[in-house]
Amino acid sequence: MSYQTVHISRGRGGWGDGLTLTPTADKDVVLSVTNGGIHPVAARIAELSGTTAVDGFVNHVDDDRVLCAVINCGGTARIGVYPRKRIPTVDIYPGSPSGPLAQFITEDIFVSAVGVDQVAVVADRELAYAGERDGGHASDGGSSAGGGSRPGSLMGGGSSAPPAFKPVAAGSGFTGIVVKFGGGIGYVINSLLAAGRQALQLTLQTIIPFMAYVSLLIGIVTYTGVSNWIAKVVSPMVGNPIGLVLLGIITAIPVLSPILGPGAAIAQVIGVLMGTQIATGALAVQYALPTLFAIDGQVGCDFVPVGLSLGEAKPETVAVGVPAVLFSRLITSPIAVIIAYLAGFLVA
Amino acid sequence: MNPLLLAVTNPPTVGATNPIMKALTWFATHFIGLFNASAKSFTGLVTGILPLLIVLLTAMYAVTTWIGEERVTGAVRWSGKYAVTRYTIMPILSMIMLTNPMAYTFGRFLPERYKPAFYDSAVSFCHPVTSFFPHANAGEIFVWAGVSAGVLKVNPGAYAKLAVLYFIVGIIVIFIRGVVTQWITTLLIRRGSYKEVFAQFDLAYAEGHIQGDLA
Repeated sequence: MSYQTVHISRGRGGWGDGLTLTPTADKDVVLSVTNGGIHPVAARIAELSGTTAVDGFVNHVDDDRVLCAVINCGGTARIGVYPRKRIPTVDIYPGSPSGPLAQFITEDIFVSAVGVDQVAVVADRELAYAGERDGGHASDGGSSAGGGSRPGSLMGGGSSAPPAFKPVAAGSGFTGIVVKFGGGIGYVINSLLAAGRQALQLTLQTIIPFMAYVSLLIGIVTYTGVSNWIAKVVSPMVGNPIGLVLLGIITAIPVLSPILGPGAAIAQVIGVLMGTQIATGALAVQYALPTLFAIDGQVGCDFVPVGLSLGEAKPETVAVGVPAVLFSRLITSPIAVIIAYLAGFLVA
Repeated sequence: MNPLLLAVTNPPTVGATNPIMKALTWFATHFIGLFNASAKSFTGLVTGILPLLIVLLTAMYAVTTWIGEERVTGAVRWSGKYAVTRYTIMPILSMIMLTNPMAYTFGRFLPERYKPAFYDSAVSFCHPVTSFFPHANAGEIFVWAGVSAGVLKVNPGAYAKLAVLYFIVGIIVIFIRGVVTQWITTLLIRRGSYKEVFAQFDLAYAEGHIQGDLA
């Protein structure tokens, strides 16, 4: 089967200018990293371009062979991992640059809110035209769809800029000391400033948006009285050791844990809801600690293959490691809750 | 008390005679009321959590810049040798220095058979670590911040104790998790068809071939 260049545009509410991907003989894999299984979008891209879709959750593929990665992440981690490696990334969710790797998520390698309809074959003539217009962008590895450096980009550039301090050619005697001292102060101040900028960027991009939607959620839940109803259902469960251990086991069930994981979105919302229950006194303070572990039995279960490949694990290790981690949780999650329950008596 | 019920029992007096006006007033009051309640909880989150978080994040980012990744690499490689440190000191250092997704790259210093256990151990620390080092996983801070905000409101004295205990119990849990996952990994290697492959990996590791770059 011959290879075809495909264009992937952003969907409703998505981000990015779209990707034009040209497969070659040694770049012929569409990596689907979507909690196991091959996502229809990945299958569609593979079908149209004449490449193979591979489930990234159970297989390890060398980065060099990946034409693009298909992810489902609106959160923090996966959204940045592939852009950081300069692998074109297609997000099923309407993600936009956020999380600690936000600065790597750029318009030339990232497009989001993509559905099956956003994938289309590019006719040869159009491609040639695009290549001409962009000065050859579309042909170099086929990753850019033009206009890659639009000024309206979300990232304030230079957030991870190296400290501005460069050792000044050392003078002699007193001047040398002054210059060194000044340079040292400059380094300290500049790195603090860069750290402040980094902190604010993360706050603006990730933390405040989360606060906004959680506030809306909490507002609705408390104003309508649903919170009382939640308290009646959840408190008996979280308010006793057996219920907590049960919750710890549920979150660690191998089928559920990869679904509950992404972005810790569910754990965070439940954490905030539990906080409001503790604040109203519906839940005793000593249950805070076991709750923290009971709602977190799934932590990172969606991320095992990616996390392992970050540690440069071999394909065999990924194949063994995914089930090992998932099954280990069934044992360790309830143990964690029991330890936390006992330690919880020290808090109150 | 359910505010909807309240509204029904004490209807607003304006336009109380006209049923349409009554309905409109009811709707308007509760429409605004709903968003007022949301705004109030937003103010609570912003004033209660943000100031401390921003200065803490700034300090931690600066400190990690000053220490530098290269300098902890030696300590991390040493701690990978023994099970006790491999699932305690190693993930803690990795998380604090490299923060959430990049922390798992330190797994490259380990033999293949220990990588899954190290990942499990490290990823399980990515929420307990936020009680003292929020920069390590600021995008997921609300697992900790959500629950602890409630404790801070009811019993401010217990907040610090909760933070310390979350951190310490977190360390105990990641150690247990590392040991259990290592055991299951060994079991799966022996049961499956991977026995020889991993024996080869171990040989290669003993000869000093670590995949990727040695930073």
